[in-house]
Amino acid sequence: MFLLTVLSASIIAGSLCGISGVLIARLRLSTLVFAIAHAALFGAAIGLFLNIDPLYTAMMLAILSSVIIGPLSDATGVPSDTLAMVMFSTYNALTFIFIFLSPGPTLAAEKVGGILWGSILAVTRTYLAVLVILAYLYALVLALLWNRFQSILFDRRLAEAEGVNTRLYVYLLTILSGVAISVSLKIVGGFLVFSLLYIPAACGFTAENIKRMILLSALIGGTSGSAGVILSFILNLPVGACIVVTATVIFIAVSIYAYIKRKQKTVF
Amino acid sequence: MVLDPAVELRNVTTIYSGENRPAIRNISLEINAGDYVLVTGPNGSGKTTLLETILGILKPVSGIVKVFGHDMVRSPYKARMMCSYLPQDFMKKPDEPFKVREIVAMGLASKRALGRLSRDDWKRVDEVLKLLGIDKLSDRPIGRLSGGQQQKVFLARALSRDPKLLLLDEPFSSLDDDSRRFVADLLYKLNRKGMTIVLVSHAPPKIAGLTMRVRLVDGCIAGVERCSS
Ligand SMILES: Nc1ncnc2c1ncn2[C@@H]1O[C@H](COP(=O)(O)OP(=O)(O)O)[C@@H](O)[C@H]1O
Ligand SMILES: [Mg+2]
Repeated sequence: MFLLTVLSASIIAGSLCGISGVLIARLRLSTLVFAIAHAALFGAAIGLFLNIDPLYTAMMLAILSSVIIGPLSDATGVPSDTLAMVMFSTYNALTFIFIFLSPGPTLAAEKVGGILWGSILAVTRTYLAVLVILAYLYALVLALLWNRFQSILFDRRLAEAEGVNTRLYVYLLTILSGVAISVSLKIVGGFLVFSLLYIPAACGFTAENIKRMILLSALIGGTSGSAGVILSFILNLPVGACIVVTATVIFIAVSIYAYIKRKQKTVF
Repeated sequence: MVLDPAVELRNVTTIYSGENRPAIRNISLEINAGDYVLVTGPNGSGKTTLLETILGILKPVSGIVKVFGHDMVRSPYKARMMCSYLPQDFMKKPDEPFKVREIVAMGLASKRALGRLSRDDWKRVDEVLKLLGIDKLSDRPIGRLSGGQQQKVFLARALSRDPKLLLLDEPFSSLDDDSRRFVADLLYKLNRKGMTIVLVSHAPPKIAGLTMRVRLVDGCIAGVERCSS
Protein backbone atom coordinates (compact mmCIF):
# COMPACT_ATOMS: atom_id res chain seq x y z
CA MET A 1 0.00 0.00 0.00
CA PHE A 2 2.83 2.37 0.92
CA LEU A 3 4.66 1.52 -2.28
CA LEU A 4 1.50 2.22 -4.27
CA THR A 5 1.15 5.64 -2.67
CA VAL A 6 4.80 6.45 -3.40
CA LEU A 7 4.53 5.24 -6.97
CA SER A 8 1.42 7.29 -7.65
CA ALA A 9 3.03 10.35 -6.12
CA SER A 10 6.22 9.95 -8.14
CA ILE A 11 4.29 9.48 -11.37
CA ILE A 12 2.25 12.63 -10.79
CA ALA A 13 5.20 14.73 -9.62
CA GLY A 14 7.35 13.51 -12.50
CA SER A 15 4.65 14.29 -15.06
CA LEU A 16 4.07 17.79 -13.69
CA CYS A 17 7.79 18.49 -13.88
CA GLY A 18 7.87 17.08 -17.41
CA ILE A 19 5.10 19.41 -18.54
CA SER A 20 6.63 22.43 -16.85
CA GLY A 21 10.02 21.65 -18.36
CA VAL A 22 8.78 21.96 -21.94
CA LEU A 23 6.92 25.20 -21.24
CA ILE A 24 9.88 26.74 -19.45
CA ALA A 25 12.40 25.77 -22.10
CA ARG A 26 10.25 27.21 -24.91
CA LEU A 27 9.78 30.45 -23.03
CA ARG A 28 13.52 30.60 -22.21
CA LEU A 29 12.78 30.83 -18.53
CA SER A 30 15.28 28.18 -17.45
CA THR A 31 17.47 30.47 -15.34
CA LEU A 32 14.44 32.00 -13.73
CA VAL A 33 12.95 28.67 -12.81
CA PHE A 34 16.34 27.48 -11.60
CA ALA A 35 16.19 30.28 -9.05
CA ILE A 36 12.63 29.33 -8.15
CA ALA A 37 13.69 25.72 -7.59
CA HIS A 38 16.21 26.97 -5.05
CA ALA A 39 13.64 29.24 -3.48
CA ALA A 40 11.58 26.10 -2.92
CA LEU A 41 14.60 24.43 -1.36
CA PHE A 42 15.11 27.43 0.91
CA GLY A 43 11.43 27.22 1.80
CA ALA A 44 11.87 23.59 2.73
CA ALA A 45 14.80 24.53 4.97
CA ILE A 46 12.61 27.09 6.70
CA GLY A 47 10.03 24.37 7.23
CA LEU A 48 12.70 22.23 8.80
CA PHE A 49 13.73 25.10 11.04
CA LEU A 50 10.17 25.90 12.13
CA ASN A 51 9.29 22.24 12.34
CA ILE A 52 6.35 22.46 9.93
CA ASP A 53 5.78 20.46 6.78
CA PRO A 54 8.43 21.62 4.27
CA LEU A 55 5.96 21.11 1.42
CA TYR A 56 3.96 24.18 2.33
CA THR A 57 6.88 26.47 3.10
CA ALA A 58 8.60 25.36 -0.11
CA MET A 59 5.50 26.17 -2.11
CA MET A 60 5.12 29.55 -0.45
CA LEU A 61 8.69 30.58 -1.21
CA ALA A 62 8.52 29.25 -4.77
CA ILE A 63 5.34 31.14 -5.54
CA LEU A 64 6.63 34.25 -3.81
CA SER A 65 9.79 34.30 -5.90
CA SER A 66 7.90 33.62 -9.13
CA VAL A 67 5.77 36.63 -8.36
CA ILE A 68 8.50 39.06 -7.29
CA ILE A 69 11.29 38.28 -9.74
CA GLY A 70 9.62 39.88 -12.77
CA PRO A 71 8.63 43.18 -11.11
CA LEU A 72 11.98 43.24 -9.27
CA SER A 73 13.81 42.96 -12.57
CA ASP A 74 11.65 45.73 -14.06
CA ALA A 75 12.18 47.96 -11.04
CA THR A 76 15.95 47.51 -10.72
CA GLY A 77 16.69 47.32 -14.43
CA VAL A 78 18.84 44.24 -13.75
CA PRO A 79 18.16 41.60 -16.45
CA SER A 80 16.00 38.84 -15.00
CA ASP A 81 18.62 36.17 -15.82
CA THR A 82 21.27 37.96 -13.79
CA LEU A 83 18.82 38.62 -11.01
CA ALA A 84 17.85 34.95 -11.02
CA MET A 85 21.48 33.90 -10.51
CA VAL A 86 21.86 36.36 -7.62
CA MET A 87 18.69 35.00 -6.05
CA PHE A 88 19.80 31.41 -6.62
CA SER A 89 23.06 32.01 -4.76
CA THR A 90 21.34 33.85 -1.95
CA TYR A 91 18.73 31.12 -1.53
CA ASN A 92 21.46 28.49 -1.35
CA ALA A 93 23.32 30.39 1.36
CA LEU A 94 20.10 30.87 3.31
CA THR A 95 19.24 27.21 2.89
CA PHE A 96 22.51 26.19 4.53
CA ILE A 97 22.02 28.68 7.35
CA PHE A 98 18.52 27.45 8.11
CA ILE A 99 19.57 23.82 7.95
CA PHE A 100 22.38 24.62 10.34
CA LEU A 101 19.99 26.41 12.67
CA SER A 102 17.26 23.78 12.54
CA PRO A 103 16.59 22.05 15.86
CA GLY A 104 18.17 18.71 16.63
CA PRO A 105 21.68 17.53 15.82
CA THR A 106 23.03 19.52 12.85
CA LEU A 107 22.84 17.62 9.58
CA ALA A 108 20.63 14.93 11.05
CA ALA A 109 20.88 12.72 8.00
CA GLU A 110 17.25 11.82 7.68
CA LYS A 111 15.69 15.25 7.93
CA VAL A 112 18.28 17.18 5.97
CA GLY A 113 18.71 14.44 3.43
CA GLY A 114 14.96 14.53 2.99
CA ILE A 115 15.05 18.00 1.53
CA LEU A 116 18.43 17.82 -0.20
CA TRP A 117 18.31 14.51 -2.01
CA GLY A 118 14.74 13.44 -1.51
CA SER A 119 13.03 10.71 0.43
CA ILE A 120 10.06 8.48 0.02
CA LEU A 121 9.48 8.24 3.74
CA ALA A 122 7.93 11.68 3.60
CA VAL A 123 5.32 10.52 1.11
CA THR A 124 2.08 10.31 3.06
CA ARG A 125 -1.51 9.93 2.01
CA THR A 126 -2.08 13.62 2.74
CA TYR A 127 0.82 14.49 0.47
CA LEU A 128 -0.61 12.34 -2.29
CA ALA A 129 -3.99 14.04 -1.87
CA VAL A 130 -2.39 17.49 -2.14
CA LEU A 131 -0.51 16.31 -5.19
CA VAL A 132 -3.65 15.04 -6.88
CA ILE A 133 -5.49 18.31 -6.24
CA LEU A 134 -2.61 20.41 -7.55
CA ALA A 135 -2.18 18.22 -10.61
CA TYR A 136 -5.88 18.62 -11.30
CA LEU A 137 -5.68 22.41 -10.97
CA TYR A 138 -2.57 22.50 -13.14
CA ALA A 139 -4.27 20.50 -15.88
CA LEU A 140 -7.40 22.61 -15.60
CA VAL A 141 -5.54 25.91 -16.04
CA LEU A 142 -3.53 24.48 -18.91
CA ALA A 143 -6.61 23.16 -20.70
CA LEU A 144 -8.65 26.31 -20.15
CA LEU A 145 -5.94 28.68 -21.38
CA TRP A 146 -4.28 26.35 -23.85
CA ASN A 147 -4.90 28.50 -26.93
CA ARG A 148 -3.39 31.51 -25.23
CA PHE A 149 -0.37 29.58 -23.98
CA GLN A 150 0.12 28.03 -27.41
CA SER A 151 0.26 31.42 -29.09
CA ILE A 152 2.74 32.71 -26.50
CA LEU A 153 4.86 29.57 -26.84
CA PHE A 154 5.00 30.10 -30.60
CA ASP A 155 5.87 33.79 -30.68
CA ARG A 156 5.52 35.82 -27.54
CA ARG A 157 6.25 39.18 -29.16
CA LEU A 158 3.65 38.71 -31.84
CA ALA A 159 1.04 37.62 -29.29
CA GLU A 160 1.86 40.73 -27.28
CA ALA A 161 1.52 42.89 -30.41
CA GLU A 162 -1.90 41.37 -31.01
CA GLY A 163 -3.21 42.47 -27.64
CA VAL A 164 -2.45 39.50 -25.39
CA ASN A 165 -1.06 40.50 -22.01
CA THR A 166 1.69 37.93 -22.27
CA ARG A 167 3.38 38.90 -19.03
CA LEU A 168 0.32 37.80 -17.08
CA TYR A 169 0.25 34.39 -18.73
CA VAL A 170 3.98 33.90 -18.36
CA TYR A 171 3.70 34.70 -14.64
CA LEU A 172 0.98 32.12 -14.40
CA LEU A 173 3.16 29.48 -16.07
CA THR A 174 6.07 30.42 -13.83
CA ILE A 175 3.92 30.00 -10.75
CA LEU A 176 2.61 26.64 -11.97
CA SER A 177 6.18 25.50 -12.49
CA GLY A 178 7.06 26.71 -9.02
CA VAL A 179 4.23 24.60 -7.65
CA ALA A 180 5.36 21.55 -9.65
CA ILE A 181 8.86 21.98 -8.29
CA SER A 182 7.72 22.38 -4.71
CA VAL A 183 5.67 19.21 -4.72
CA SER A 184 8.42 17.21 -6.40
CA LEU A 185 11.04 18.47 -3.98
CA LYS A 186 9.93 15.99 -1.34
CA ILE A 187 10.63 12.98 -3.51
CA VAL A 188 13.50 14.13 -5.68
CA GLY A 189 15.25 16.56 -3.34
CA GLY A 190 16.44 20.10 -3.83
CA PHE A 191 19.70 19.23 -5.54
CA LEU A 192 18.08 17.26 -8.30
CA VAL A 193 14.60 18.62 -8.78
CA PHE A 194 15.73 20.85 -11.60
CA SER A 195 17.02 17.84 -13.55
CA LEU A 196 13.50 16.47 -13.60
CA LEU A 197 12.43 19.65 -15.35
CA TYR A 198 15.21 19.53 -17.84
CA ILE A 199 15.82 15.94 -18.91
CA PRO A 200 12.26 14.85 -19.81
CA ALA A 201 11.80 18.15 -21.68
CA ALA A 202 14.96 17.47 -23.66
CA CYS A 203 13.40 14.14 -24.73
CA GLY A 204 10.10 15.88 -25.45
CA PHE A 205 11.67 18.18 -28.01
CA THR A 206 12.20 15.25 -30.35
CA ALA A 207 8.42 15.10 -30.94
CA GLU A 208 6.98 16.98 -33.89
CA ASN A 209 4.27 19.10 -32.37
CA ILE A 210 3.90 21.00 -29.15
CA LYS A 211 1.15 18.85 -27.66
CA ARG A 212 3.17 15.69 -28.27
CA MET A 213 6.24 17.37 -26.84
CA ILE A 214 4.37 18.06 -23.63
CA LEU A 215 2.80 14.60 -23.49
CA LEU A 216 6.09 12.83 -24.19
CA SER A 217 7.87 14.91 -21.58
CA ALA A 218 5.13 14.21 -19.03
CA LEU A 219 5.26 10.51 -19.84
CA ILE A 220 9.03 10.35 -19.44
CA GLY A 221 8.87 12.40 -16.23
CA GLY A 222 6.28 10.01 -14.82
CA THR A 223 8.17 6.91 -15.97
CA SER A 224 11.46 8.15 -14.52
CA GLY A 225 9.69 8.94 -11.27
CA SER A 226 8.14 5.51 -10.82
CA ALA A 227 11.09 3.51 -12.17
CA GLY A 228 13.42 5.54 -9.97
CA VAL A 229 11.35 4.77 -6.90
CA ILE A 230 11.43 1.04 -7.65
CA LEU A 231 15.17 1.13 -8.30
CA SER A 232 15.78 2.95 -5.06
CA PHE A 233 13.75 0.29 -3.20
CA ILE A 234 15.69 -2.55 -4.76
CA LEU A 235 19.15 -1.02 -4.58
CA ASN A 236 18.61 0.93 -1.37
CA LEU A 237 19.96 4.14 -2.91
CA PRO A 238 18.69 7.74 -2.60
CA VAL A 239 15.45 8.02 -4.52
CA GLY A 240 16.10 11.41 -6.19
CA ALA A 241 19.35 10.21 -7.68
CA CYS A 242 17.72 7.00 -8.96
CA ILE A 243 14.96 9.03 -10.64
CA VAL A 244 17.39 11.35 -12.36
CA VAL A 245 19.68 8.53 -13.50
CA THR A 246 16.64 6.73 -14.93
CA ALA A 247 15.64 9.91 -16.75
CA THR A 248 19.14 10.21 -18.18
CA VAL A 249 19.10 6.62 -19.43
CA ILE A 250 15.75 7.29 -21.14
CA PHE A 251 17.16 10.51 -22.58
CA ILE A 252 20.11 8.65 -24.11
CA ALA A 253 17.80 6.02 -25.59
CA VAL A 254 15.48 8.67 -27.04
CA SER A 255 18.42 10.61 -28.48
CA ILE A 256 19.80 7.53 -30.19
CA TYR A 257 16.37 6.70 -31.57
CA ALA A 258 15.88 10.24 -32.87
CA TYR A 259 19.37 10.18 -34.39
CA ILE A 260 18.70 6.94 -36.26
CA LYS A 261 15.33 8.20 -37.47
CA ARG A 262 16.92 11.38 -38.78
CA LYS A 263 19.72 9.46 -40.47
CA GLN A 264 17.20 7.32 -42.33
CA LYS A 265 15.40 10.37 -43.63
CA THR A 266 18.29 12.53 -44.76
CA VAL A 267 20.43 11.67 -47.72
CA PHE A 268 23.75 13.42 -47.93
CA MET B 1 -18.42 63.89 -33.04
CA VAL B 2 -14.78 64.20 -34.03
CA LEU B 3 -13.19 60.83 -34.70
CA ASP B 4 -9.92 59.99 -32.99
CA PRO B 5 -7.08 59.72 -35.48
CA ALA B 6 -5.93 56.14 -36.10
CA VAL B 7 -2.40 57.01 -34.97
CA GLU B 8 -1.19 60.10 -33.17
CA LEU B 9 2.46 60.66 -32.29
CA ARG B 10 3.60 63.78 -30.42
CA ASN B 11 7.33 64.44 -30.02
CA VAL B 12 8.08 60.77 -29.67
CA THR B 13 11.62 59.61 -28.97
CA THR B 14 12.53 55.94 -28.55
CA ILE B 15 15.89 54.69 -27.31
CA TYR B 16 16.78 50.98 -27.11
CA SER B 17 17.94 49.97 -23.65
CA GLY B 18 21.72 50.20 -23.36
CA GLU B 19 21.98 52.65 -26.27
CA ASN B 20 22.64 56.37 -26.12
CA ARG B 21 21.45 57.37 -29.55
CA PRO B 22 17.70 57.52 -30.08
CA ALA B 23 16.47 55.12 -32.79
CA ILE B 24 13.70 57.60 -33.58
CA ARG B 25 13.78 61.21 -32.45
CA ASN B 26 11.10 63.77 -31.80
CA ILE B 27 8.60 62.25 -34.19
CA SER B 28 5.21 63.93 -34.59
CA LEU B 29 2.78 62.35 -36.99
CA GLU B 30 -0.94 62.04 -37.42
CA ILE B 31 -2.54 59.23 -39.41
CA ASN B 32 -6.28 59.38 -39.98
CA ALA B 33 -8.64 56.45 -40.09
CA GLY B 34 -8.76 55.26 -43.69
CA ASP B 35 -5.25 56.47 -44.55
CA TYR B 36 -2.80 54.34 -46.53
CA VAL B 37 0.66 55.39 -45.46
CA LEU B 38 3.99 54.37 -46.94
CA VAL B 39 7.02 54.81 -44.70
CA THR B 40 10.36 54.71 -46.51
CA GLY B 41 13.96 55.35 -45.55
CA PRO B 42 17.37 53.70 -45.65
CA ASN B 43 18.40 50.76 -43.42
CA GLY B 44 18.59 51.74 -39.78
CA SER B 45 16.56 54.91 -40.25
CA GLY B 46 14.05 53.78 -37.62
CA LYS B 47 11.16 52.36 -39.63
CA THR B 48 10.78 49.19 -37.58
CA THR B 49 11.26 51.16 -34.38
CA LEU B 50 8.48 53.51 -35.46
CA LEU B 51 6.01 50.65 -36.01
CA GLU B 52 6.84 48.97 -32.71
CA THR B 53 6.57 52.26 -30.88
CA ILE B 54 3.14 52.80 -32.39
CA LEU B 55 2.10 49.37 -31.09
CA GLY B 56 3.59 50.08 -27.69
CA ILE B 57 5.90 47.04 -27.82
CA LEU B 58 8.72 49.55 -27.53
CA LYS B 59 8.15 52.21 -24.91
CA PRO B 60 9.23 55.71 -25.90
CA VAL B 61 11.40 57.67 -23.48
CA SER B 62 9.33 60.77 -24.16
CA GLY B 63 6.30 61.88 -26.11
CA ILE B 64 2.75 60.68 -26.53
CA VAL B 65 1.63 57.69 -28.59
CA LYS B 66 -2.05 57.15 -29.22
CA VAL B 67 -3.86 54.58 -31.37
CA PHE B 68 -7.57 55.19 -31.86
CA GLY B 69 -7.38 57.45 -28.84
CA HIS B 70 -5.79 54.86 -26.54
CA ASP B 71 -2.54 55.76 -24.80
CA MET B 72 -0.14 53.04 -25.98
CA VAL B 73 2.23 53.47 -23.06
CA ARG B 74 -0.31 53.09 -20.31
CA SER B 75 -3.08 50.92 -21.73
CA PRO B 76 -2.07 49.34 -25.03
CA TYR B 77 -4.13 46.16 -25.04
CA LYS B 78 -7.51 47.41 -26.23
CA ALA B 79 -6.01 49.24 -29.17
CA ARG B 80 -3.73 46.33 -30.07
CA MET B 81 -6.79 44.11 -30.44
CA MET B 82 -7.82 46.36 -33.33
CA CYS B 83 -4.39 46.21 -34.96
CA SER B 84 -2.47 43.58 -36.89
CA TYR B 85 1.28 43.48 -37.23
CA LEU B 86 3.47 41.76 -39.78
CA PRO B 87 6.97 41.76 -38.30
CA GLN B 88 10.09 42.13 -40.39
CA ASP B 89 11.94 39.24 -38.73
CA PHE B 90 9.26 36.59 -39.15
CA MET B 91 11.44 33.63 -40.20
CA LYS B 92 11.20 30.55 -38.00
CA LYS B 93 13.78 27.80 -37.55
CA PRO B 94 13.36 24.45 -39.38
CA ASP B 95 12.50 22.61 -36.15
CA GLU B 96 9.63 24.94 -35.25
CA PRO B 97 6.77 22.55 -34.39
CA PHE B 98 3.74 24.76 -35.12
CA LYS B 99 1.70 24.33 -38.28
CA VAL B 100 0.50 26.96 -40.75
CA ARG B 101 -3.22 26.73 -39.98
CA GLU B 102 -2.61 26.82 -36.22
CA ILE B 103 -0.42 29.88 -36.59
CA VAL B 104 -2.97 31.81 -38.64
CA ALA B 105 -5.68 30.83 -36.14
CA MET B 106 -3.60 32.29 -33.29
CA GLY B 107 -4.03 35.73 -34.82
CA LEU B 108 -7.78 35.50 -34.52
CA ALA B 109 -7.56 33.73 -31.15
CA SER B 110 -5.78 36.77 -29.69
CA LYS B 111 -9.04 38.67 -30.09
CA ARG B 112 -11.23 35.98 -28.52
CA ALA B 113 -11.98 35.29 -24.88
CA LEU B 114 -9.62 32.56 -23.62
CA GLY B 115 -8.40 32.25 -27.21
CA ARG B 116 -11.38 30.06 -28.11
CA LEU B 117 -12.30 29.98 -31.81
CA SER B 118 -15.80 29.38 -33.11
CA ARG B 119 -16.63 27.43 -36.24
CA ASP B 120 -17.01 30.71 -38.13
CA ASP B 121 -13.58 31.76 -36.95
CA TRP B 122 -12.06 28.60 -38.42
CA LYS B 123 -13.93 29.27 -41.63
CA ARG B 124 -12.38 32.73 -41.69
CA VAL B 125 -8.93 31.21 -41.17
CA ASP B 126 -9.40 28.88 -44.12
CA GLU B 127 -10.74 31.70 -46.28
CA VAL B 128 -7.66 33.82 -45.68
CA LEU B 129 -5.34 30.88 -46.32
CA LYS B 130 -7.08 30.38 -49.61
CA LEU B 131 -7.02 34.07 -50.46
CA LEU B 132 -3.23 34.10 -50.16
CA GLY B 133 -2.90 30.82 -52.03
CA ILE B 134 -1.37 28.91 -49.12
CA ASP B 135 -4.32 26.67 -48.29
CA LYS B 136 -2.35 23.66 -49.52
CA LEU B 137 0.30 24.37 -46.88
CA SER B 138 -2.22 24.32 -43.99
CA ASP B 139 -0.80 21.28 -42.26
CA ARG B 140 2.85 21.97 -42.90
CA PRO B 141 5.14 22.97 -40.03
CA ILE B 142 6.09 26.61 -40.59
CA GLY B 143 9.82 26.00 -40.31
CA ARG B 144 9.79 23.78 -43.38
CA LEU B 145 8.49 26.53 -45.67
CA SER B 146 10.44 28.95 -47.85
CA GLY B 147 10.87 32.56 -46.78
CA GLY B 148 8.18 33.82 -49.14
CA GLN B 149 5.74 31.14 -48.01
CA GLN B 150 6.38 31.98 -44.37
CA GLN B 151 5.84 35.66 -45.06
CA LYS B 152 2.45 34.85 -46.58
CA VAL B 153 1.54 32.86 -43.47
CA PHE B 154 2.21 35.86 -41.27
CA LEU B 155 0.35 38.12 -43.65
CA ALA B 156 -2.57 35.68 -43.48
CA ARG B 157 -2.40 35.81 -39.70
CA ALA B 158 -2.52 39.60 -39.81
CA LEU B 159 -5.45 39.67 -42.21
CA SER B 160 -7.46 36.97 -40.43
CA ARG B 161 -7.99 39.46 -37.60
CA ASP B 162 -9.75 41.89 -39.90
CA PRO B 163 -7.89 44.77 -38.25
CA LYS B 164 -8.85 48.44 -38.28
CA LEU B 165 -5.16 49.31 -38.42
CA LEU B 166 -2.71 47.13 -40.33
CA LEU B 167 1.01 47.63 -39.69
CA LEU B 168 3.29 45.93 -42.21
CA ASP B 169 7.07 45.83 -41.89
CA GLU B 170 8.72 45.15 -45.27
CA PRO B 171 5.84 42.87 -46.38
CA PHE B 172 7.31 42.39 -49.84
CA SER B 173 10.82 41.44 -48.75
CA SER B 174 10.60 37.72 -49.51
CA LEU B 175 7.82 37.67 -52.10
CA ASP B 176 8.25 36.97 -55.83
CA ASP B 177 7.06 39.52 -58.40
CA ASP B 178 3.64 37.98 -58.96
CA SER B 179 2.97 37.77 -55.23
CA ARG B 180 4.11 41.38 -54.75
CA ARG B 181 1.64 42.57 -57.32
CA PHE B 182 -1.07 40.42 -55.81
CA VAL B 183 -0.44 41.67 -52.27
CA ALA B 184 -0.17 45.31 -53.38
CA ASP B 185 -3.50 44.94 -55.14
CA LEU B 186 -5.05 43.24 -52.11
CA LEU B 187 -3.87 46.03 -49.79
CA TYR B 188 -5.33 48.61 -52.14
CA LYS B 189 -8.71 46.88 -51.99
CA LEU B 190 -8.62 46.48 -48.21
CA ASN B 191 -7.82 50.16 -47.80
CA ARG B 192 -10.70 51.04 -50.10
CA LYS B 193 -12.97 49.11 -47.77
CA GLY B 194 -11.80 51.25 -44.87
CA MET B 195 -8.77 49.57 -43.38
CA THR B 196 -6.05 51.97 -42.24
CA ILE B 197 -2.67 50.72 -43.45
CA VAL B 198 0.85 51.72 -42.49
CA LEU B 199 3.34 50.04 -44.78
CA VAL B 200 7.08 50.16 -44.22
CA SER B 201 9.33 49.46 -47.16
CA HIS B 202 12.83 50.63 -48.04
CA ALA B 203 12.29 49.69 -51.70
CA PRO B 204 8.56 49.60 -52.41
CA PRO B 205 7.13 48.23 -55.63
CA LYS B 206 4.54 50.33 -57.42
CA ILE B 207 1.77 50.91 -54.90
CA ALA B 208 -1.62 52.30 -55.85
CA GLY B 209 -3.91 54.28 -53.60
CA LEU B 210 -1.43 55.79 -51.12
CA THR B 211 -2.75 58.78 -49.19
CA MET B 212 0.51 59.68 -47.46
CA ARG B 213 4.26 59.19 -47.79
CA VAL B 214 6.61 59.52 -44.85
CA ARG B 215 10.38 59.53 -45.27
CA LEU B 216 12.63 58.72 -42.33
CA VAL B 217 16.32 59.54 -42.22
CA ASP B 218 18.47 58.91 -39.16
CA GLY B 219 15.47 58.51 -36.89
CA CYS B 220 13.89 61.79 -37.91
CA ILE B 221 11.10 62.63 -40.30
CA ALA B 222 12.70 64.03 -43.44
CA GLY B 223 9.45 64.57 -45.24
CA VAL B 224 5.70 63.99 -45.08
CA GLU B 225 3.74 64.22 -48.26
CA ARG B 226 -0.01 63.93 -48.66
CA CYS B 227 -0.87 62.22 -51.92
CA SER B 228 -3.86 63.34 -53.93
CA SER B 229 -5.77 60.54 -55.54
N1 LIG C 1 17.37 45.74 -30.53
C1 LIG C 1 18.09 46.85 -30.78
N2 LIG C 1 18.97 47.29 -29.86
C2 LIG C 1 19.70 48.40 -30.07
N3 LIG C 1 19.62 49.14 -31.16
C3 LIG C 1 18.75 48.79 -32.12
C4 LIG C 1 17.94 47.61 -31.98
N4 LIG C 1 17.16 47.50 -33.08
C5 LIG C 1 17.48 48.54 -33.87
N5 LIG C 1 18.43 49.31 -33.30
C6 LIG C 1 19.00 50.55 -33.86
O1 LIG C 1 17.96 51.48 -34.06
C7 LIG C 1 18.09 52.14 -35.30
C8 LIG C 1 16.83 51.97 -36.11
O2 LIG C 1 16.63 50.63 -36.41
P1 LIG C 1 15.37 50.07 -37.18
O3 LIG C 1 14.16 50.74 -36.65
O4 LIG C 1 15.40 48.60 -37.13
O5 LIG C 1 15.67 50.59 -38.66
P2 LIG C 1 14.98 50.19 -40.03
O6 LIG C 1 13.80 49.33 -39.74
O7 LIG C 1 14.60 51.50 -40.64
O8 LIG C 1 16.00 49.49 -40.84
C9 LIG C 1 19.34 51.57 -35.96
O9 LIG C 1 20.39 52.47 -35.78
C10 LIG C 1 19.61 50.29 -35.22
O10 LIG C 1 20.99 50.07 -35.13
MG1 LIG D 1 13.37 47.43 -40.29
